[in-house]
Amino acid sequence: MKKAIFSALAVLMATASITACSSNSGKNGSNGGSSAAPDSNAGSGNTPVAEEVIDPFAKFETPMEVSIGRGIDPNYKYDGTDTAEENVYTRWLKDKYNIVVKHAWEAATGNDYQQKVSLAISSNDLPDALVVNETQLRQMVKAGQLADLKEVYEKYASPELKAVYDSNPGLLDSVTFDGKLYALPETTLPSAPMTWIRKDWLDKLGLEGPKSLEDLGKIAQAFKDNKLGGENTVGIVGTQQGGSLSSNFLASTDHWYNFSPLFFANDAYPGIWVKDKDGNAVYGSITEETKKALTMMRDWYANGILDKELGIRKSTAEVVASGQTGIFFGPWWSAYNLADSMANDPNANWRPYAAPLNEAGQFNSNQATGSSYIVVSKNAEHPEAVIKMTTLHKWGKDEEYKTLTAGKEMTSQEVPLFLILGAGDQLEYAVNTLRKVLTDEVKVEEVDSINYGWAYEMAQHVKAIKKEPFDNYDIQHFDQQADPGFFTHIYAHLNGGSTFVDANINWVRSIATAQTKTMESRWTNLKKLEDETFLKIIMGSADISAFDEFVAKWKDQGGDKITEEVNELK
Amino acid sequence: MIPRSFAKHFYIMLIPGLIWLIFFNLYPMYGVITAFKEFNPGIGLWKSPWVGLENFEYMFELDDSKIIFRNTVAIAFAKMVGNLIVPLVFALMLNEVKNRLFTRTVQTIVYLPHFLSWVIVGGMMLDIFSYSGPVNQILSGLGAEPVLFFASADVFPALIVGSDIWKEFGFNAIIFFAALTSINPEMYEAAAIDGASQWQRLLKITLPSILPVAALLATLSLGNILNAGFDQIFTMYNPSVYSTGDIVDTWVYRAGLIDFQYGLASAVGLLKSVVGLILITVSYALAYRFANYRIF
Repeated sequence: MKKAIFSALAVLMATASITACSSNSGKNGSNGGSSAAPDSNAGSGNTPVAEEVIDPFAKFETPMEVSIGRGIDPNYKYDGTDTAEENVYTRWLKDKYNIVVKHAWEAATGNDYQQKVSLAISSNDLPDALVVNETQLRQMVKAGQLADLKEVYEKYASPELKAVYDSNPGLLDSVTFDGKLYALPETTLPSAPMTWIRKDWLDKLGLEGPKSLEDLGKIAQAFKDNKLGGENTVGIVGTQQGGSLSSNFLASTDHWYNFSPLFFANDAYPGIWVKDKDGNAVYGSITEETKKALTMMRDWYANGILDKELGIRKSTAEVVASGQTGIFFGPWWSAYNLADSMANDPNANWRPYAAPLNEAGQFNSNQATGSSYIVVSKNAEHPEAVIKMTTLHKWGKDEEYKTLTAGKEMTSQEVPLFLILGAGDQLEYAVNTLRKVLTDEVKVEEVDSINYGWAYEMAQHVKAIKKEPFDNYDIQHFDQQADPGFFTHIYAHLNGGSTFVDANINWVRSIATAQTKTMESRWTNLKKLEDETFLKIIMGSADISAFDEFVAKWKDQGGDKITEEVNELK
Repeated sequence: MIPRSFAKHFYIMLIPGLIWLIFFNLYPMYGVITAFKEFNPGIGLWKSPWVGLENFEYMFELDDSKIIFRNTVAIAFAKMVGNLIVPLVFALMLNEVKNRLFTRTVQTIVYLPHFLSWVIVGGMMLDIFSYSGPVNQILSGLGAEPVLFFASADVFPALIVGSDIWKEFGFNAIIFFAALTSINPEMYEAAAIDGASQWQRLLKITLPSILPVAALLATLSLGNILNAGFDQIFTMYNPSVYSTGDIVDTWVYRAGLIDFQYGLASAVGLLKSVVGLILITVSYALAYRFANYRIF
């Protein structure tokens, strides 16, 4: 008998060590790579004399190594053998400016990247520079992990970069804590979620674009009834697994692939702090308007208008790409992500609508607060290289650069530490300029290439891509092959950007944009309560009365205290 | 008696496990003090201020704490029972098949899923049980309404337990196969001569012979009762199944790494460890008593 147990045990141990290996390799692979501390080329050279006037576009005398954590789009196709770490752009940085970018780790953009950053913060194992969100920035400031960039910014930032921040008043102040500059913020383009619809489907059924919620519901129903997306046509697609129903004050995600517009059209602003009629702060998720929106969504879900698998679906993008749906919600730049859909179906003519409107005919949106920031670890050896990289990304594009990149616009997949920088009205300017250049109202040479460099570059390409009629942005009026490097940009700006720029938007801002003291300890719990209740109400597994219970519980479990704190912020 | 020279092999086989234990279980132990601190990653664990039992007080105030512990125990217990009975029955059944080629082939095939990561299996499960997936197609073929399995808090734990058993039963059966092969075939021969039927031989010889192994595995797995499987649930859950599917580990993950509530997350994690330690001690005592199994 004893022998039986022994031999069984031997197997058990062998299996235990196998499972141990297999279960750990996954978790630790992530830690393994992150130990890439900057190599010690610190001692060598690198002695800029303080009084010397520094040319922001000069080459560093010795190689400056900067380690970064990098978000990567797993589906992005690089030219040849290029990678995110080693491509045309990084080679240019290295050869021309002696800036060597090393990846401490890589993670898929989106949730994976955010989690990796949070992990890096928690374990205090930071690369030299990172792009982070606001919550992470504040956490890092609180933990004292960041370098004060004030001095290097003054010294190394180019006049153009400084001008951009000057034209966005208050932006640098928002990242200055106790007189120390802790980040380079993105110049956020405001963004409202629009309703994207397959116009070719609308035309097929002889329908008009939507205005009210009712119109939208009818269109979705018609798409479904006529099986335009095949047997399993999805009416309106939105939130996927791990995503949230609407953007909140901590994570805006720019309203991409969620259901924010259905709330906004009901005058509901879940997830942010708004003012009630007496001017007091109230959490948008607990208002009557939100209840109304949820009731409507619950009906829509039951009728099959909303995706049956909302919140569970592995990938919303897949449904859009496969042509299974004709409606989703997203910001103007959603047009950048339609390539797969158009590849699968060349007729796919996605058009954005500034709809649905509320009962008063107003187009509402909350103002996305989530933004990106470049931060530099206090242990970084070359913060000045990071400042220079930021400058070069926008203003280093000389003739040599253009030859190297063969006219292809570098994206966040090639450019390390990619940050959107520009004057506050850059999108509006770009869209209007492109329109005017098309109609010869403005000549390309007349475009302001100093302050709106990006608009100027696009203006040079727009005529080859946009066909007549110039004011019709349906896909068939674009030439996709003429200038593939710029097609997506022109298409996104003219198709998505124009509707957004022309829309008359009623912006609602959140009173709080970061966690208060009580939120720090209570938020996990409250957020869980909210996510669970809302999803259950919509999917019909909880009654609508669950909303009132949620409100009572939310207030009781710390919500009231948090609201008090937010009221003090006003 | 086992010769000493042979016993040495066991110690060598122990080495990988020991290394793993030291690096991944013993070394991170000092981190438990996070539960008593207001952890600030910038200044490090040692310099972070002490806050006493504040994190624990808050933990017991939360309704969530009870729910996640209940879910964890329920799911882990169901997995424990299923992962014992299904492989046992499977091993017994396969043991009766005399065609060696067949048994070998089946054994190899059924333990393959064990080597797939949960990310893959989870994705497969989401697809199979999706609204327009194969299961719902069969259901609608039978005239039933399609069911959204992964949105139903009632069905979710069953899916979790079921998929875990499906993935692991082939692998778990290996131990039973080992135990089965060590039964003295003379006993079967003697029983056959005495006229015992196939069924009687199974009940009177096979089962009693491997019962100690089964008892041992059962008691040893008690220590795992608070491990309901983070990787698995994390790839499959969503807010609408929080009420039955949110376990200690997923909650700690959200609180600690998404919301930066280090102290609270550590407190919950520590409580889990303390309960786990008690259970392991009990299971060790039971294993000693019932299966004469000893480590020290």
